[in-house]
Amino acid sequence: MSDFARQIEQLRPQLLRFARTQLRNDAWAEDAVSESLLAALERPQSFGGHSQLKTWLVGILKHKVVDQLRRHTREATILVGEDGEDLDDDLFLADGHWRDAPQDWGDPDAACSRRQFFDVLQTCCDHLPPVQARVFMMREWLELESDEICAELAITTSNLWVLLHRARLRLRDCLQLRWFNASPAIN
Amino acid sequence: MKNTLTCREATRLLLEDEDRELPVADRVALQVHVKICFACQRFVSQLNFMRRATRAWRKHSETDDDDSDESTRA
Repeated sequence: MSDFARQIEQLRPQLLRFARTQLRNDAWAEDAVSESLLAALERPQSFGGHSQLKTWLVGILKHKVVDQLRRHTREATILVGEDGEDLDDDLFLADGHWRDAPQDWGDPDAACSRRQFFDVLQTCCDHLPPVQARVFMMREWLELESDEICAELAITTSNLWVLLHRARLRLRDCLQLRWFNASPAIN
Repeated sequence: MKNTLTCREATRLLLEDEDRELPVADRVALQVHVKICFACQRFVSQLNFMRRATRAWRKHSETDDDDSDESTRA
């Protein structure tokens, strides 16, 4: 049992990193992780041993992250209206054509087995404006449906689409800059 | 029905398509545009890659043991 507790405690730093990426607030992240570890310790029998311990804990953490967002709805979305500018004006000419055509990323999937790539992806998410980062992580990481995200954050669907639109364009930009332009040096 | 999109409009629809089901008219207009626009074809490929990459990242973060990862990295 104490062995179980020690194993769980060892995963705290990793869980904290996910929580921070998702919540963009250290205090909320600490709370979400502490609540997850407590929940895990309170019912070790629900860990069937079929999955990795970490996978099981991340499953618990996801619920706790949503709890935190629900608890802090107002603060979490207070910046919606001013959460970064659209990149569109930089990307497109006045007539609606691409200013510079998107670059050919070649066959990028080899990247998906490389740790360095995930580090870049994480960095790019961490660089998103806070509300964009939250909605993006809720969508892609917590795998929530659009209407669930809107309900949790008390925003409209058009707000959500604007935020996700901005987040995805920023991520694309960031990957171009930090991965695809930088790849020769990394290889 | 609008049948000519600019790249900017096509891009907006392609991004929306990640998060909701587009109306049929939009989907048709999008298909017509992307078919003839190599820049937007590339954007589609980039979006598709980003979707796969995010999924792989999520999986990696949920299951991967960081310690063993560090050792294989060296």
